[in-house]
Amino acid sequence: MSIPNKLGGLIRQSGLTDWPEQLKMSVERGMEQRVRLAVTGLSRSGKTVFISALARHLLQSEQGRSLPFFAAASEGRIVATRDLSTESPSPFPLQQCLAGLQASPPHWPNSTEALSEIRLALRYRRKPGLGRALGEHSTLYLDLIDYPGEWLLDLPMLTLSFEQWCKQQQALFASLPRTEVAADWIAQQSGIDWLAPAPEGLRQRLTERYRSLLQQLREPPYNLSLLQPGRLLMPAELAGSPLLDLFPIIQNWPEAPENADTNSLFTQLQQAYNDYCEQVVRPFYRNHFRHFDRQIVLVDCLKTLNSGESCFNDMQLALTTLLHSFQYGRNSLFRRLFRPRINRVLFAATKADHVTANQHHNLDQFLRLMIEAAQREIRFEQVETRCLALSSLRATEAAQARLDGQHLSCLRGHRKDTGEEIALFPGEVPTELPRAEDWNSDRFRFVDFAPRPLPAGTLRPEHHIRLDQAIEYLLGDLF
Amino acid sequence: MRDTPKWQRPIEIPPEAMAADPAEHPPHQPARDIPLDKAQTVEDDTSLELPPSPPQSNVRSRGWLVPLLGTLVVLAIGAELYRLISWSISTHPLLGGAFSLLTLLLMLVVGIEIRRGLSGSRQLRQVQGLQQQAEALLQQTSHGDSTALLHQLEQRYHHTALKNELQGAITQLDSSYNDREIIQYLSRHALNQADRTAQRCVQRYSVESGVMVALSPWASFDMLLVAWRNLRMIREIATVYGIAPGLLTQGKLLKQVLQNLAFAGASEVAMDAGSALLGSSLTSSLSARAGQGIGAGLFTARTGLMTIKLCRPLPEPDRPKNMLQQIAKGIVHRLTSGKPETGTDRK
Repeated sequence: MSIPNKLGGLIRQSGLTDWPEQLKMSVERGMEQRVRLAVTGLSRSGKTVFISALARHLLQSEQGRSLPFFAAASEGRIVATRDLSTESPSPFPLQQCLAGLQASPPHWPNSTEALSEIRLALRYRRKPGLGRALGEHSTLYLDLIDYPGEWLLDLPMLTLSFEQWCKQQQALFASLPRTEVAADWIAQQSGIDWLAPAPEGLRQRLTERYRSLLQQLREPPYNLSLLQPGRLLMPAELAGSPLLDLFPIIQNWPEAPENADTNSLFTQLQQAYNDYCEQVVRPFYRNHFRHFDRQIVLVDCLKTLNSGESCFNDMQLALTTLLHSFQYGRNSLFRRLFRPRINRVLFAATKADHVTANQHHNLDQFLRLMIEAAQREIRFEQVETRCLALSSLRATEAAQARLDGQHLSCLRGHRKDTGEEIALFPGEVPTELPRAEDWNSDRFRFVDFAPRPLPAGTLRPEHHIRLDQAIEYLLGDLF
Repeated sequence: MRDTPKWQRPIEIPPEAMAADPAEHPPHQPARDIPLDKAQTVEDDTSLELPPSPPQSNVRSRGWLVPLLGTLVVLAIGAELYRLISWSISTHPLLGGAFSLLTLLLMLVVGIEIRRGLSGSRQLRQVQGLQQQAEALLQQTSHGDSTALLHQLEQRYHHTALKNELQGAITQLDSSYNDREIIQYLSRHALNQADRTAQRCVQRYSVESGVMVALSPWASFDMLLVAWRNLRMIREIATVYGIAPGLLTQGKLLKQVLQNLAFAGASEVAMDAGSALLGSSLTSSLSARAGQGIGAGLFTARTGLMTIKLCRPLPEPDRPKNMLQQIAKGIVHRLTSGKPETGTDRK
C-alpha cells in the first residue's frame, strides 16, 4: 500500500474528484450557458407532455419552422441541438413518450412514477454585436427534470414540525369534501388514545385507510391537490417501506404529548414523520430542487372549473404553499456562480387547446385569479412573472359551426375516454371567480381530448399553442 | 407728524357681521326615498367618449397661402408660355410648332408626375392608417379584430413585390393567435425580405455619403452631396416598401422624416450619441474630415431608418441596435483601406 494510493482513496472519499466537474458547471452557469429550468406542476398538470414537446421542438429548432416566436430559432441562429440525457443516471424516456404520441391512435404518456432528467445542448450563433467577440458560436445547456407531481407537495413539509403539520391537516379535514369522504376514518381516530402503547397493526390499518382516502380525493369528482404525504400516492421505490406508515392525527390531539409511551402511536408517527422528511423529502429537495434559474408553473385551470369551488381553493392553496419552497430573487454574478435563484417565472395555464381560441384571454385571467397570492410574493422579490395560456401539444382543431343562424367557433377532437370524434363549444371561461351557484351548473363542459397524432417528421406551429412564446420568455434572453 | 400707514390694520370681525355667501352654503337636499323602479343603474359607458381631436391651427391665412401662390405661378407660367408660343408662331410657323410640341410634352410629364405624386401620398396615408391600426391592435388581446387589417394589407400590397411574402405569412397564421400575436407575427415574418433590402440600402447610402463627404474638397459641396444621397435613398426605400416614387412623395416623406428626427425621443438621441461617440473615437486616429464624413454618414443612416419606420405598414419589432455602429465602422474601413493616401493628413 503506497502513499499515492492512500491519498487517492482519501481524495475519492472526500469527493474531491468531482471538483473539476462542479467547477466547470459553476463557470458555465456563471456565463449563463447552463440553465436549470424548473418545470413545476401538480400531478396531471402536463409536465411530461410539456417536457416531451419542448425537447421535440428544440431538437428540430435549427429548421426554424415550428417556433415562430422563439427569436433565436426563427432567425435561424440555432445550429443544432443534441440530446445529452443518456449521460444522466435516470434519463427521461423521451422516445417512449413520443412513440405514444406518434402511435395510431395516439395516447398521452402514462403518469410519471419516478424522477428522470433530460439535458439538451443547443449550439447557436451569437447575435451580431459585441458578444461575437467571444466567438461566433456558443452552446447553451438546458437541464430539466420530470417527476411525479405528488412528490412536489412534500416540499412544504420540510418547514413544518409534526405538530404543525397535524394542525394544518386538521384545518383541511374540517371542510368539505374532505370531512364527508373521511368521516369513518375520523370517527375511527376519535376512539384512539394516542399516548398509550399501540396494538400491533393499528398504524398499518389506519395508514391503509388514509392512503385509499387520498386516492379517492385525488380522483374525480373531487380532484383535490393538497394531498400529503405525496409518496403514499406514488411510492416508487419506497413501496411497502415502514417510512410510509404515516398519517396526520386529526382527532383528540393529546394534551401532554411529552408523556407519550415510547411504543405509542404518537411517538411512532412523530418518528415516522421526521424520518420521512429527513430521509425522503430532504434528499429529493437537495438533489433536485435547489439551484434553479428559471421556472415554469403549469396549472390545469379547466380541471378546477369542472370540479368546483373546493377544487379551486385546494389547488390555490397547494400552489401558494408549494412555491414557498423555491428561492426567488435576482442573481448577481457571484450569486449565479454559487447559489443561483429563480429570476424569471412563467405561470402557464395548460390545455389551452381545450377551449376555443377566443377564450384564451379569459383563461389567462382565470389563471391570474388562481395564482394571485403566489405571484404577489414572487413579485416582492423583484422577480419577473408572466401568465400565459398554452398547450404543449395541440389535441384539437379550431372549427366553425352554424347554430341558429349565427357562427360559433368550436373545437374538433377525439374524446380521451371513448375515442369518438366530437365537435364542442365548451363554454366561456369566467374571468372572475364564479359564484357558488354557478360552479355546478351547465356553464362549462371541458372535455378531456385525446392527442392528435404527432408527425414523425417536421413539426409545424399548429402542433402547439404558444409554446414558442413560453420558450422565448424563459430562455430567449440567453441566446 | 403721523402719516396714515399704507397697510391695513388687522381687524377682528364678529361672525354676525359676515355676509352669508350663498355660493358657499347651498341649501342642502333633504334625504328621501326613491322607488326602486325609478332608479336606474349608472352604466360606465366609455364607448361614447370621443378621443381628443388635434388642435386646429388657428392661422387661417396659411391655408390660403399655398393655393393662391400656386394659382399665381400657374397663371404667370401659362401667360408667359402663351406669349412665347404666339411670338414664335408669328416669327415662323415651324418654330411655333416646335415650341408647342415642347410645351405639350412638358405638360404631359408634369401631369404624370402629379398623378404619381398624388397616388404616392395616398399610399403613404394608407400606410399610416395601417400603422395606427396595428399599433392599436398590439395593445389588445381580443380575437378576430385584426381580420379587417389583414384584408387591407392584402389589398394594399396586391400588386407589389411584397405580395408573396406577405401572403405566405398570412396563410401561416395560426388560428389560436390573438390580435396582438397576429401583428407581432406579421411584423416579424411578413416583411423580412423588404426589411433586409431596405437596411442594406441604408447601409450602402450612408457609407457612400460618409466617404464622399470625407473625401470632398469643398465644404459647401458636402451639403449638396448629402442632400442628393438622402433623396435617392428615400426614394429607393419607398419603392422597396411598395410606395410609388415621385417627387411629391419624396418631398412629403422627407418632410415627415425630418420632423420625426427633430422630435426623436431622448433615448434614441442618447443611443445615437453613443454610436457617434464610438465613431469619433474610431476617427480620432484619422482626421477631422473623416470625422465629418462619419457625422454625415450617421445622419444619412438615421434618415434612412426613420424612412423605413414611416414606410413600413407594421410597427418594427426591434430596431437593429448596432446598425449605426456598423455604419460608422464601415466608413472608417472604407477610408482606411480604400484610400491609403489619406494617411498624409493624419494628425
